[in-house]
Amino acid sequence: MKGLRIAAIGLALVAAPVLAGNKLIPAGQPVAVAKSVLTVTPSVEWNKLGARPGRNSETWTFDGDALNDLTFYGGIEPEQTLFREVSKRTKPLPRVKATMLVTDIPTLVENSYRIALDTPLFTVEGMEPMAFAGKPGIRFTYSFTRPNEDLPRKGEGRGAITGGKLYLITFEAPRLHYFDAGVAAFRQVANSAKL
Amino acid sequence: MRRGWGALACAAALTLVAAPLAAQEKTGNKPGFTLAPGTATIVLMRPEIAVGAQSTGGSYEPNADWTDQARENLGRALAEAQGKLGNRVVTHVEPVGQGAATAHEYRALFTALADSVITYQFFPGNRLPTKKRGDSFLWSIGSEVAKLPGVQGADYALFVTTEDHYGSTGRKLLQVFAAGVAGIGVSAGVHKGYAGLIDLKTGDLVWLNADLAMGGDVRTPEGAAKRVSQLLEGFPGKPVEAPVAPAAPTKTAAR
Repeated sequence: MKGLRIAAIGLALVAAPVLAGNKLIPAGQPVAVAKSVLTVTPSVEWNKLGARPGRNSETWTFDGDALNDLTFYGGIEPEQTLFREVSKRTKPLPRVKATMLVTDIPTLVENSYRIALDTPLFTVEGMEPMAFAGKPGIRFTYSFTRPNEDLPRKGEGRGAITGGKLYLITFEAPRLHYFDAGVAAFRQVANSAKL
Repeated sequence: MRRGWGALACAAALTLVAAPLAAQEKTGNKPGFTLAPGTATIVLMRPEIAVGAQSTGGSYEPNADWTDQARENLGRALAEAQGKLGNRVVTHVEPVGQGAATAHEYRALFTALADSVITYQFFPGNRLPTKKRGDSFLWSIGSEVAKLPGVQGADYALFVTTEDHYGSTGRKLLQVFAAGVAGIGVSAGVHKGYAGLIDLKTGDLVWLNADLAMGGDVRTPEGAAKRVSQLLEGFPGKPVEAPVAPAAPTKTAAR
């Protein structure tokens, strides 16, 4: 019995990246995302990746997460992180705070990326107030480069805090071709968000 | 005994999971793409080459000497192969200033694209649903590539990326130990090689040969020649050579 359990755990640990099925997100249908009450209605088809960056998040893509990555963070509660911890003891990820303002969201994203991707190359390019899912929210843009890769990427985020929880959508892609090719589809998804 | 069962069950679980990896494809063609010999001009982009060591823990440590050796050996092997590809292949004249940075960025984009094709197309179990339809092989670096200095007048661009991590002695000992004592597979070394042909009118990837376990030690002239012949295996429009040994049939993604 114990053996079976160990086998199941072993299988789950090893199999996750390979067997986690990627699913089709059809166009024109409302869909709840990131295991939360956040709902969006995409106007084009996307692929939902089986692998999630964190517990309350999910990633959509057209061509793979290295080329276009739309990630939803659905209601991250206070004292939770955006991603799974990479090294909790030596490099803990920043946590969502109950007292956070929407203007703190870009900083949370920046500090989380710097640790999770282990890159010093991350810049918040700009931010402005913009309603998100009918709540007072923020729109921000950023750029970053992953270590061991000379491929600069651009990103855009839309988020709001409601009921003490953080709701956020980000889109990022290489600045060559992919960002401009995909950003309109991202903005459409972000504009369709409902809570 | 209970522990024994656990280990056995774990090993069985690992075996089950390892199975889909064996079914990986290595070559893809855009449906309907053919290239007749003597009809096109292909610009060979400067290859992206990185060579280093893999530490016992598996991390990568770049080695400048090995990279220089590989650059020289692969450069010579590519120059030799260039004339035998069936079409006119010219070496990309590296632009200066901003153009050089953009060319480098395009080579990095090609590498990311090839990584994505391996992860989301060549592994059938992990294929993206929108890429599953019919014989779809739709991948692109964007039509803006036509504006890159030095590619004007050519029909296609050939991108080449190689990355080799040679297992250190410690890593090799760990591999032997892990296999013999614990029954776990630990990989020693990474030998990735990508060669891809981009249509300069559309930016579409029309042919890709990509493998994470290529042969040939790129630090030696003979090994580099072997690597180049593997990279350019099945190159479109290449005259068929007399096979030295019967080759195993290659799985093609576009099917």
